[in-house]
Amino acid sequence: MNRNKSANDKVIITLNGKPFDVPPGGSLGILALGNVGIKAWKQAKLKWEQEQNNAKEEK
Amino acid sequence: MQKKKNKVLLIGWDAADWKIIDQMVDNGLMPAMKSVIERGVRGRLATLDPPLSPMLWTSIATGVRPFKHGVLGFVEHDGKGGVRPVSSYSRKVKAIWNMLTMEGYKSNIIGWWPSNPVESINGCMVSNLFQQEKKGKETMDVNNWEMPEGTIYPERIIEKMMAVRVHPHEITGNLVMPFVPEAVALDKKQDKRLTVIAKFLAHASTIHGACTELMETEEWDFTAVYHDAIDHFSHAFMKYNPPKMEGMDEDAYELFKDVVKGAYVFHDMMLERLLKLIDDDTTVVIVSDHGFHSDHLRPRFVPQVPSGPAVEHAPYGIFVAMGPGIKKGERIYGARVLDVTPTLLTLFDLPVAKDMDGKPLLDIFEEPREVNYIESWENIDKPGGDLVKLLKVDDAMNEAALQQLIDLGYVDDMKVLDNADDTRKEYLKNVIRENNFYLAKSYSSAGHYDEALELLLEIENRESPDFRYLIEIINCAVKTKRFPLAQEYIEYIRQDKLMKDDFLDILEAKVQIGLNNASSAVKLLDKAKKSFPDAPDVLLELGKVLTVMRDLEGAKMCFQRSISIDPDNPHAHHGMGLAALRNEEYELALEYFLNAIEKLYHYPQAHFHLGECLVFLKEYQSAIHSFEVVANLAPNLPKTYRWLQDLHETLGNSKEAAYYNLLVSKYRLGEKTIITGVPSKKLFEVLNYLKDNGLEIGGDIEDVFGSSIEITKPNWLVDYKESIVFVPVMLVGSLTGRFDYSFVYVEDDVNNSADFLMSLGGLKQSTYNEQLIDALEKQVRVVETWFSQQPNLDVLHINGIEDLKNPIIEKYLKLSFK
Repeated sequence: MNRNKSANDKVIITLNGKPFDVPPGGSLGILALGNVGIKAWKQAKLKWEQEQNNAKEEK
Repeated sequence: MQKKKNKVLLIGWDAADWKIIDQMVDNGLMPAMKSVIERGVRGRLATLDPPLSPMLWTSIATGVRPFKHGVLGFVEHDGKGGVRPVSSYSRKVKAIWNMLTMEGYKSNIIGWWPSNPVESINGCMVSNLFQQEKKGKETMDVNNWEMPEGTIYPERIIEKMMAVRVHPHEITGNLVMPFVPEAVALDKKQDKRLTVIAKFLAHASTIHGACTELMETEEWDFTAVYHDAIDHFSHAFMKYNPPKMEGMDEDAYELFKDVVKGAYVFHDMMLERLLKLIDDDTTVVIVSDHGFHSDHLRPRFVPQVPSGPAVEHAPYGIFVAMGPGIKKGERIYGARVLDVTPTLLTLFDLPVAKDMDGKPLLDIFEEPREVNYIESWENIDKPGGDLVKLLKVDDAMNEAALQQLIDLGYVDDMKVLDNADDTRKEYLKNVIRENNFYLAKSYSSAGHYDEALELLLEIENRESPDFRYLIEIINCAVKTKRFPLAQEYIEYIRQDKLMKDDFLDILEAKVQIGLNNASSAVKLLDKAKKSFPDAPDVLLELGKVLTVMRDLEGAKMCFQRSISIDPDNPHAHHGMGLAALRNEEYELALEYFLNAIEKLYHYPQAHFHLGECLVFLKEYQSAIHSFEVVANLAPNLPKTYRWLQDLHETLGNSKEAAYYNLLVSKYRLGEKTIITGVPSKKLFEVLNYLKDNGLEIGGDIEDVFGSSIEITKPNWLVDYKESIVFVPVMLVGSLTGRFDYSFVYVEDDVNNSADFLMSLGGLKQSTYNEQLIDALEKQVRVVETWFSQQPNLDVLHINGIEDLKNPIIEKYLKLSFK
């Protein structure tokens, strides 16, 4: 299982050889992945928060 | 090429129960668990009394009972005049991780209860307070979440452990939705139940995060992870679980009926991930410390006493093992929480200590395993074997963890506490007293009733009586045959109205049984049965006493009712088997004894009666096996060795017979010739004739009912110095197994006996007394069955004085009649 960032900077983890988009709201499946899922979720949340802040600033 | 190392992954799910798991596996909701069951062995894990998690998980990790390991209850004295959640300081013996450290194995230990503060083991340790997000009364902010001191070893892993923690505030609505699909309908601020779910989920995720991180990034031979979430979810939400409980609010039921199932699904998902982190050389063991009632056995209310919620715990947890050399798709029987550490040691080819209370579960292996034994792990002097050293612990974290225990109902609320010294001292005194109560329970559940009683009498306080202590005092007094003491306490409870009379009747009945007043016991139990028709305690006691009185049909009805209420109750199955055995229905008895043993393997009486049953079915080899199990489980039962001697003699195994004869002689107190028979003129004549011929006969021949005999005294026969003793027929079944007996049974017609008894009472003879004749006929049947069911017993039936001149009788009585 790998963790990486896609071209558009979404947080993606590779699950069983397939890419998996980590939603910022998380999911039980992500939590059940343990370390990898939690870290990826935290990263996705951070990314989403940054995007929200940026959007606010742009307005 | 270096041999691959065998690894072991131990997963602890507090309160996980087969009733729920089997249902969910069948419905395809726990695929990971299903795959482990199919590729390994499964069984029930018998818990200990009291079924309190910190005590049980320490027994799981040490292989010894709480009175040896020292973890007693949920809280302990903090050494500063206060209390704190029970910690690793209380543990007095080595845990599996200490043993593995001494042997050079590397361990990851995550969340074990109690493991705070952590120990400097060979490997990594993350304590059970690591996931705590509260500091004192305040909840720490997600971005300012400190790592409490004493929760991580070694320090170098702190950063990576911080990275995998999940704070309850991070749990979003869509994470709670799978548990409560209609969560949106609830006001999160008003309804604390959603907050509780978020907290349990965050804690479980944090522990799982730490476990997976250590498994992936650290070298290890042994990983043990403990999750409390199933227990917590069950205590909070099992009341909503289908089938709907009577009186449950319909809306609440609809909202929360899937929460417990959701918790199990989430654990299965976590399990799936763990299974991906291991290789084929890893053995996986999944255990729970006790089960949780999920059906009609759910209690209607939880007693408002410390550890009250434990009434919801069921007596069997789960055991599953899968890995190299372990059987596939099979069931094992008789596993106990005490057996986990000895089994883990065996998996590592390490010796099991003789001072452990558990035994390795050798039935799990495909090939027979040789087990090495040592006296104890405690006196092995190797680096790493030290118990936890005094480290700095975080007081604020302890305070928060203590509050959590109060919220769960395990510990008394401290709201009444103020800072006054006296109040604090009183609270501390109560905590110590409560822990001593658990210590006493641990003693009594191991059969150490004297130690338990001594402790209970010490902590019992008439100024603030606690009905749990008083009940335990009465039970221990009955077990140690201190009936006046038991009666004194029953009277005290009755006078002070500390319990309902119906409950007291059950206790009083136990005393009456001990005093051999079976009919009084039946009256009391019948009365109690009217108030509690489905109470297992009442049904079992009544069944037992009816068996003694040979009302075997009545006994069977009680046991059958008990089985229909709780089909897993081993005592009900044993009782049913015993009633059938006494009724000479051996096939039926066999079935029930096997059921009892399947449900509770460590049940010497069930194995013993199974052995007797097999003898009567002429299955001698199997009977030998059963008695050998008894000899192993309860080595101090001399009658077991008599049976083994008798069976080996029957089969012509002279060497084995001689060996067991030697063991019998260890317990043998001597030889006795017993003269008995239904009370009759003929019996009197025989006894008087023998006396007139100079024979010294023990016992009072006028006392036809044996009312002067102290039946409650163990080995009462020992008081008679004479080698020939008159024993009233109704007491024959209670003779100790420590003598070699020869019986002289004086035969007479029951009608003659009835006439004789009526003449004693001054009534006119030959008046037909149906009840008396029935009772006498029953007594004859009972004693004849008893004779036929004893090993190595000589019984000579005589018809009167004339028969005494028989040379065999002369030999028995060591007297020559002219």
